This record gives sequence, C-alpha cells and structure tokens, in this order.
Amino acid sequence: MLKSRKSEVLAAIVLAGPFVALYAWMFIYPTIQMVHLSFQNAPLIGEGTWAGLKNYTKLLSDRTFKTAVWNTAYFVLLTVVPGTAVALAIALMVSRLNGWFQSIILAMFFVPYVLPVTVVYILWDWMVNVQFGVLQPVIALFTGKPVNVWRTIPWFMPGVAIVTIWWTNGFSILLFLAGIRNIPKEIYEAALLDGASRTQVFWRVTWPLLWPVTVLCLTIQLILQLKIFDQVYLFSMGGRTQVTMVMVQYIFEQGFQRNNGGYAATIAVALFVIVVAVSVLQLQAARLRRGT
Amino acid sequence: MRGFLRKALATAALLALTAGAQAKETVVWWDFLGGGDGVRMKKLIEDFNTDHKDTIEIQATTLDWGTPFYSKVQTSAAVGAGPDLMTYHSSRIPLAVGQDTLTEITPEDMTVMGLSEASFAKAPWAAVHVDGKQYAVPFDQHPIVLYYNKDKLAAAGLIGDDGLPKGLNGVDNFAAAMKKLQDGGTKYGLATVTANGDFAYRTFYSLLCQQGGVVGGDGNWLPGDNLQKMVNAVQVEADWVKNGHAPANTDYPSTVALFTTGDAAMMVNGVWEVPTMTDLQAQGKLFNWGAIELPVLFDKPCTYSDSHTFAIPNNKGKPQTPEKHAAVLEVIKWMEDHALFWATAGHIPANKAVTDSAEYKAMQPQATYAPLTANMIYDPQSKFAGVASPLFDAAGNALTPAINGEVDVTTAVTEFRDTLNDLQ
Repeated sequence: MLKSRKSEVLAAIVLAGPFVALYAWMFIYPTIQMVHLSFQNAPLIGEGTWAGLKNYTKLLSDRTFKTAVWNTAYFVLLTVVPGTAVALAIALMVSRLNGWFQSIILAMFFVPYVLPVTVVYILWDWMVNVQFGVLQPVIALFTGKPVNVWRTIPWFMPGVAIVTIWWTNGFSILLFLAGIRNIPKEIYEAALLDGASRTQVFWRVTWPLLWPVTVLCLTIQLILQLKIFDQVYLFSMGGRTQVTMVMVQYIFEQGFQRNNGGYAATIAVALFVIVVAVSVLQLQAARLRRGT
Repeated sequence: MRGFLRKALATAALLALTAGAQAKETVVWWDFLGGGDGVRMKKLIEDFNTDHKDTIEIQATTLDWGTPFYSKVQTSAAVGAGPDLMTYHSSRIPLAVGQDTLTEITPEDMTVMGLSEASFAKAPWAAVHVDGKQYAVPFDQHPIVLYYNKDKLAAAGLIGDDGLPKGLNGVDNFAAAMKKLQDGGTKYGLATVTANGDFAYRTFYSLLCQQGGVVGGDGNWLPGDNLQKMVNAVQVEADWVKNGHAPANTDYPSTVALFTTGDAAMMVNGVWEVPTMTDLQAQGKLFNWGAIELPVLFDKPCTYSDSHTFAIPNNKGKPQTPEKHAAVLEVIKWMEDHALFWATAGHIPANKAVTDSAEYKAMQPQATYAPLTANMIYDPQSKFAGVASPLFDAAGNALTPAINGEVDVTTAVTEFRDTLNDLQ
C-alpha cells in the first residue's frame, strides 16, 4: 500500500514536473523579478539601484497614471458588456439560420477576428479619414462637419471601443453559438407546449442555460480589454497620447521610450493587482448570480 | 582517447580556418527605410551584393520607423543580438550613447574608409559626435522643403522669370499667395500635417530659428523670449488652419494625397517625398512640380534637418571580429561612394564629393533646394530630443490641439515647455 502510494507520487511528479518547472521559470520567476524591479531605480536593461518605495509614491501622484487608469476603466466599460451583448444578439440571429447560409454569415462575422491589429487600424483609419473617409458623410450627418475621430478627445475611446468590438466579436459569437447548440431541443418544445412566449423562452430557458458561456465571454473580454494597448497606441500615434493613455501603453512608454525600467515595472505591478482583483470580483459576482 | 580528441580538435580548427578564408562575410543590416527611399536603398544593397559576389553579403531587414526600431536596437544590442550595421538618425545619437548602444567609430576606421571630416558637410559631421567621439558616419541630410504645383502657381502669377516661385516670403505674403491660389479654384493653399504635432514640430522649429530663436536644452527649454518666438511660429500654422488655407486635423498620408491630387497647391514635407513625385510623374500622373527651400516667413532663412547615418551597435559580449569589422567598413565606404543614387530619394548626401559632382548639380529638384544646407538647424544635442523622442511626444501632445484651434497657442506652447522642463 505504502509502496504503491510512493510510486503514485513519483508518477505525479514526473507528469506534473515539466509543466510546473516551465510555469515557474516562465511566469512565476518573471513576476517576482517584476516586483523586485519595481523597487529599483533601473533602466530598461542593466543593473538598477535600490529605490525603496520611491516608485510607488511617484505613481500615486502621477497625473498620467491616473489618466491611464481612468481610460482603461472607461474602455473596459465601453467594450466588455456591450461587446458581449452584441455577440449574444448576433449569435441568436445566426443560430436561426441553417446550412451553408449560416456558415457564410458566421464567416462574415468571424473574418475581422483573423485580421492583425495593424490591418484593422489601417482599415478604420482610412474609413474615418477626415479628408477622404467613406464614413465621414455619416459622421457629418450628426455633426455638420467632418470630424477626426482620433484627434477629438471625447470621440477617441468610443471610437476605439467600436473598432475593438467589431474586431474581436467573432470569437464570442462562436462561443455563444456552441452554447446555444448545447441547449437540448426538448426544453424548448416543453416550454412551447406550456404556452411560453418567445420573450419568456429567452429569459427562462436560453439566458439561464447560456449563463456559464456568458460568464466565460465576460471574463475573457474583461482580462483582454484591461490589457488594451495596440489599438490605442496605433490610433493616437503622433497626437495627444498623454490624454488618451491606457495602462499597458504607459508601461511601454516608460519602459521603452523613456528607459525607466523600474517605474514601468511599478505600473505593471499596479495593473497586475487590478487584473487579479477584478477577476476575483467577477468570479464571485458570477457565483452569486448562479446562487451557489 | 586523448589522441583522438586532439586530432578532432585540430581538424575542426583547420576546417574553421579554411572556411574563414573562403566563406563570404555576411553583414546583418537593419534599417527603418520603408517609403520611396526604402526602395532605393534596397537597390543600393542589391548592387553592393552583386559587386561583392564572392566576398561580402548584406542581409538586410527593414523595421518599423521610430520608436519600434530604436527600442529593438537598444534591447537587442544589450544582449548581443543586434545587427552588424544599421541606419541611425543623428538626432538620436546622444540618447544612444547614454544607453551605451553604439560602438565608437575610431579615427583608424575613418582612415581605412578613406574618409575624414573634410569629406562631409559640417552639420551632419557635428551631429555624429558626442563629447568629441564619433559614433556614426553621416550618410545624408533630410530637411523639410516646400513642394509646389507649378501649374497652379503659374496660373496665380506666383512663378518668377527664373521659373521658381516668387512672392512667398513673409507671413502676410505667404497667406496672400495661398488666398490667391484658393481664389483660383484650388481647395487648399497648402497641405501640411496638422493632425500630428510631432511632425509639425519640424515646421515650428524652422520658424523659431527664422526668428533667431533657439529651443534650448536639458532643464532650460525655450528660455526667455524664445517661448514667445515659438508661440509666433505655432500661431502661423494655427492661422493657416483657422483661415481655411490649410486643412485641419489632417494626417500624413492625406497630406500627400491632397497635394498629389491637386487639391492643395503647396505642401510642407520632408525631402523623402521626392521619389513619390518623381515616380508619379514618370507614370504621367502628376502635374509639373518642384521643391524649394522653405520661404523666409520671418527674418532669415532657416530649415529643420536631420541626418541618416550608419552606426555599429555595441553588441554586448559579441564584439565584431576584425574580418566582420572590415566588411562593415567596406559597406559604409561603398554606400558613401554611391550616395548619388541615394540622392534620387530626395535626401541630400552628406558626402561632399557627391554633392559637388556635376551629376548631382544637374539633378532636379534636388539641386534647387540643396543650397538650403547653408541655413539648416539640427535638433539640440539632448537625450530627450530627436525623432520619436520625448520632445516629439511633447509636441504631439501639446501642439496638436493648438494647430487646430482647440487650445490657445500660448497655453499650448507653455505646456510644451513645462513638459520638457519636467523631463529627467
């Protein structure tokens, strides 16, 4: 008995070992290094000097950091729930189609997801270009004159949010479609026999049974959008980057453009804490909603 | 066993020796030249490789201009994974030296290449030196110039007897000229990048210098009345936008498009757009055009310029072998000798032997604007200045809204100065 237990432990170590070693080397060690670096006055590359809490006190009074936190939060607000809602709506519509027609429509929604961010940027930058953009007549309907979306501060974040939802929605739609197909047909038949209206069917059957998928989508989106960088960086290049700054962009700016490795690590630690806190909160909230 | 090992080692050493004698030396090359000038650089590299079929091969990679290029160079050199040779903006050299990213170019290197101070124009030669040491070899100078649509200017009576634009000097005259062009049915008098304050900074810096102003340096930016002079400079462009002479919030590609489609009669842009015009005209898709030194809007002629140079990264732990180093020097020397072709990309070669040649003096519009090298101003030597630097960033942030009338110009320029003074 004892012997077989011992061999089980050995087998467990052999099987889990490579992963644990890789994980420790590639994730845990760098994380510790990052925290260590945040207490130093260090360049991007090379040795630093111990700075104690200086980076952290600087962070608290840093105006651009506050802007970055606010913009990131605003962006999350603009994309996570609206994006998931749009994906759910599209998935519900697509699920009513059949055969090859469904495949084509689904592909149309999924294609943007395959594009690299630079292509997405160039596409949208040209579509809303203030001189030649095809969308400017639409914008002019509301404003009376062409607007440079990427240089007009109140337009910037909503603009990037729309582009992001358009770009990343395909994945959430796929997840929702899989979820919808997993709901047994009998439940719908039973509900219809009981005389449920379509609204009732959605709220009493589809919505609760899709909830796990919804939570998954929201979580993926939340973590992804907290790390927003590429789109904001690309659309704001050469303009008012300090006003439209988001957190990861600020890490990039401090680390790679200003050569402040220590301070960049401090911002990274702050982002890390925020991501962990928000993820835990969201999981708890999701559990509450499920009533367990 | 030991005998075997010794034999094996000896064989390996022998192989390495013979391989070294026969193998081609490769030079890994990085540049950031992605536009019309990039096409011409690729041709130069091809020609070099053909010329050195048995001895040296350049393996070139073009990376993204600006911050991506410079972060990659800095990080890769620090771990010994940088290229053997790269293009570099002279304005970025002070920062690179502070980060220990560049290898010094020694006087012996210069002797090997047969080049010296006398071979180069003054400004780019000065710009590759930090604390008396040389860190790069100047290749060209690339100022901004005024492109003009000759047909439109002629119709508006703005072309003189010498065939060049006239009546553009002075802020008021320039505005009047733009109005005349617009009255003649052109949408805009001038296209210039108004959506990016960092790009427009090149114009502001020129206009600041035209008033005899200086931008200052670390800890003391825009000192004294230079603040007011910078306000005057930015105000000029803000007025162009306000009065409808130049389009608001317009980005780089649109600026070029507005000019090449004839919607704007003039354009302020870098000499690197010359190949765009040359190529379009060769396809019969462009009007008659030209490029001249920026008009004197204030007191004296002055134009912003930067310089492309060749630099050798300081690859930590992997210093170049003497053979590799010799090959790198050969590449630089060859490029300097063939800089005449580079001039077709619009850039003004730094090598005086080229700019003094009859071929260059016959090249148009290059020869027309080349004399502006006498009135050039480079970025101040500071680790915060240069292309894609904190200074450019600050200009983008503070000055973009001022150009487009969203913020008062004095407020914006003051913010610009304060941001720079806060840098440390």
